[in-house]
Amino acid sequence: MQDAVLTKFLLRHPSVLVFLGMLAVFTIGVTVLSEGFGIGVVSTSLVKTLGKTLCLALAAIAMDLVWGYCGILSLGHFAFFGLGGYMIGMWLMYARTELIVLKANAAAALPLTPQELSDAIGVQIFGVVGGSEFPAIWAFSDSFILQLLLVVLVPGILALVFGWLAFRSRVTGVYLSILTQAMTLALALYLFQNDSGLRGNNGLSGLQNLPGLEETSQADVSLWFFWGSAFALGVCYVIAKLIVESKLGNVIRAIRDDESRVRFLGYNVEGYKLFVFVITAIMAAIAGAIYYPQAGIINPAELAPIASIYLAVWVAIGGRGCLYGAVIGAIFVSLLSSFFTGGQIPNISLGFYTIQWVDWWLVLLGLSFVLATLYAPKGLGGLVDKFKKA
Amino acid sequence: MRFLLTIIMSVMLAVMSLSATTAQEADAFRQVLSDNYKLIQRSSTKTVSPVLEAIQNTNFQGAAEFLDKWQEKELWFRKSDNAFVYVETDDKKTYRLLDVVDGTGLGEVPKKEIKQIKPNSGVRGLLAARLVQFQLTDPDVEVRRKSLESINRDPKLEHLEALRIAIEKETDAGLLAEFARIERILTIKFDEDPAARIEALNSFSGALSIDVRASLNLLLTTKLAVAKTLPEDINIARVIVPDQTGVNPDGSAFRLHGLLDMGGDQTELTRDAAYDMLVKANLAPATIDPAARKEILIANIEDGKIGKLNVSELDSDEARDSAYSDLVLLGKAEAFLTEDEQDQLISEHIFYASYVETNQEVTDVAREVLNDINASVTLNQFFDLALDGISLASIYFLAAIGLAITFGVMRVINMAHGEFIMMGAYSGYVVQQIVPNYTISIIIGIPVAFMVTFAAGVLMERLVIRHLYNRPLETLLATFGISIALQQLAKNIFGTQARPLTAPDWLDGAWVINDVVSISWIRIAIFVLGILFFCMILFVLNKTRLGLETRAVTQNPRMAASMGIDPDKINMLTFGLGCGIAGIAGVAIGLFAKVTSELGNDYIVQSFMTVVVGGVGNIWGTLAGATMIGFLQKIIEYFNPSNTLAAQTYMIIFIIIFIQFRPRGLIALKGRAAEA
Repeated sequence: MQDAVLTKFLLRHPSVLVFLGMLAVFTIGVTVLSEGFGIGVVSTSLVKTLGKTLCLALAAIAMDLVWGYCGILSLGHFAFFGLGGYMIGMWLMYARTELIVLKANAAAALPLTPQELSDAIGVQIFGVVGGSEFPAIWAFSDSFILQLLLVVLVPGILALVFGWLAFRSRVTGVYLSILTQAMTLALALYLFQNDSGLRGNNGLSGLQNLPGLEETSQADVSLWFFWGSAFALGVCYVIAKLIVESKLGNVIRAIRDDESRVRFLGYNVEGYKLFVFVITAIMAAIAGAIYYPQAGIINPAELAPIASIYLAVWVAIGGRGCLYGAVIGAIFVSLLSSFFTGGQIPNISLGFYTIQWVDWWLVLLGLSFVLATLYAPKGLGGLVDKFKKA
Repeated sequence: MRFLLTIIMSVMLAVMSLSATTAQEADAFRQVLSDNYKLIQRSSTKTVSPVLEAIQNTNFQGAAEFLDKWQEKELWFRKSDNAFVYVETDDKKTYRLLDVVDGTGLGEVPKKEIKQIKPNSGVRGLLAARLVQFQLTDPDVEVRRKSLESINRDPKLEHLEALRIAIEKETDAGLLAEFARIERILTIKFDEDPAARIEALNSFSGALSIDVRASLNLLLTTKLAVAKTLPEDINIARVIVPDQTGVNPDGSAFRLHGLLDMGGDQTELTRDAAYDMLVKANLAPATIDPAARKEILIANIEDGKIGKLNVSELDSDEARDSAYSDLVLLGKAEAFLTEDEQDQLISEHIFYASYVETNQEVTDVAREVLNDINASVTLNQFFDLALDGISLASIYFLAAIGLAITFGVMRVINMAHGEFIMMGAYSGYVVQQIVPNYTISIIIGIPVAFMVTFAAGVLMERLVIRHLYNRPLETLLATFGISIALQQLAKNIFGTQARPLTAPDWLDGAWVINDVVSISWIRIAIFVLGILFFCMILFVLNKTRLGLETRAVTQNPRMAASMGIDPDKINMLTFGLGCGIAGIAGVAIGLFAKVTSELGNDYIVQSFMTVVVGGVGNIWGTLAGATMIGFLQKIIEYFNPSNTLAAQTYMIIFIIIFIQFRPRGLIALKGRAAEA
């Protein structure tokens, strides 16, 4: 029965199939070319970059859903992304340090008591911020399953509480944007403190090493994460498409276009908004939880308000209200960005001055962003649509 | 001409009479030395005092130098006639002799003809005290002041006597008060008469200066001790119950109240520390901590077993406990007291803190005075906090006031507002590079910053914002794009390191009201600037043609246009005005913050908060918002002073909650304007 619904849905929206097909081809292509399982044309670091880019695309889908479809310009979704990373990072760090401590004590005369074990791990993890006690928020860090649940729960509940407070008092438009930005700033500032319990500005590190898999090469691990990223992106794309194409999606779009009118029609606008806000926060958190083990390190600077604005930039350049547009925007801009800042573009010498792209890339990005807002409000995705019509 | 001659004559006469008195004093000095040469050569603490008295009574100028050299073992005498001399030497074999009175050379002699005078340490102490007296009665006010300061830094018993003598001779009224104050501090510290000390203590009631507080705290120093029964003959400050009492600032004890505690109060002596004290006082056997116990267990492993237990089973504290008690039974380890036995021992003893000062009357008065002082310190701290709050509020206000126009009145979300602040600060910096005089460069810098940012604002309005009116989210994004471009541009031009924007000298330092309350002049200047801007903008918006037209255009552009107002022009000018003011704020902020390309970033979120909390569309609202945020942040910092990050976090959370209850801000517009 459900299969039939899905089939009907896919037949009605062939673009989903096109998207999934392209994603599959891309994934298989990278795998074949990779060092881990293929002929080794694509380096491991590039596989990681591509995997991370897919995660960013997933975050962009969440952003597109909440902004492009529901009209809530949230400047806090990258904070949820970071929170997801922190949650999985806690387990990765705890489990790996536990293994290291156990290994170091394997030859000791007496087996460790639970207290000694926890102290030893605490010293390893919190030594940099001058502590050794486990803060309360690490209570579940020894359990993979619980911490995985927290990836969803912590950002979800934060989004629920914040969204409930904000929507209830009818904070809308730019006010909401500024409020979400303030939330992000508060979270980042909190994490920057050494006594936040999350290692202050050191953040969590060494996340690329999976506990118990020290023997496995990073070439393999990076591919696993790449597949995971692609899978999560595919699933969330389908979910997002299901939401926007359903009756629910119609209401959400109606809220974007005229909130008061929808309210007068008898819909519980706040409920719909809250639903979208929370579900996208969770999507962003999942993206973050896959992203940071590939990046290897997470620190509070990642959560700074500017990151959330970049997320909005990607979606705006890619095209709002168009799911593949968001994906295109995120992939296009973030790859271009690493291309420019990575020194792959030769500097241009003007005789009296040399344009160094590392320095000028942000200027270029900022200006092109202004141009996109002014002249292509539908972004790159909009260009695709125009092309289709013509 | 005659007049001039008269002056010269009288000056010469004065000099002559001066040298006449000096000659008399020098003779007297010489006489004293030759009368007492034996006592000086072989000085002892018992006999030297009358000599010193006599030397001082000569009032001879060089006497201080004489005592100083004597103290430093640089005074010699000629064996042939017992005349005192200063010496100079190049090779340590032959010495040039100098007269101690007028410094004339007395020829060179070999070393064996002279002898060095080496006073013992007791005499040197007396000499030092006498020297202090010389300095304290020096004719130069500055020398007296300096010597007083050095006494205050490191007071000694012998200073007290010198101070009391010098106080009689002091003529400068301002210095006399300081003399008296330090004399009282020394009295508290060194005087042997309790009545005098108590009188001095009482005179300090309500005094705020740090040295007085330090001397009182020193007087009330306590040391912890433990005994079976409370001793009778000591000055007890408080009796301590481990884990149950805390200590007040005045040294008395108070009882902790378990559940009612706010968490800030801490016990003075934890149970473990109390037991350690018992161990140190040899009143209890030492504990064996887990690490030591582990050592003992490891030392007793035999064939993978400790006693009956396998080593691999010892992975919990309970198992280790039982293994250890097995060892104790076997006589292989020392027994230690259980927690209950330790508690029993602790309860059998009494812990107390006693004052180092033995006179109870003195400590009682001191405690009373200290409590009194602490109360007035707290009062002054609140005053200081209020000043800090005002100053932070004026910074926020200054940063946000440009935004109050562009965002508040025009409803344009300008995310590049912070970059205009930065632009203003850099303009000030560039002006300072060209004009080296700091005062002039600030005076030039302010209008230059205004012009630069005004021009940039107008340009931005023409090129971007104009196309995005009524599309606030797009405006937000486009201006954000401009913001990152401008930031990077500034980084490319000025580099990443901070550039100094130096304040003129007259803004250096602080206005010190008393030892607790002070505020720097820059902050006062910023406060004044904030007030000035506030009045100016209020005037422009409410009393000028431009203000009227601005309000008309923002309320209803079409209607305004039909009345002959050009909305395009008005929007352009208003936006430029808002940006220009941000530029001036940038100069002010640059004076105390580092000028970097990220300067604006630090203020953008706070500025928006200020405007939103205060109430959009209203300059009064911005003032109210800045005041609230500034004060609140300082109050939060007061409770948690070590952590400004946490203060900011709580601040933002508070604002988020605040907006729940007053979504339109502190001062909300009513009626039709609110709908716009």
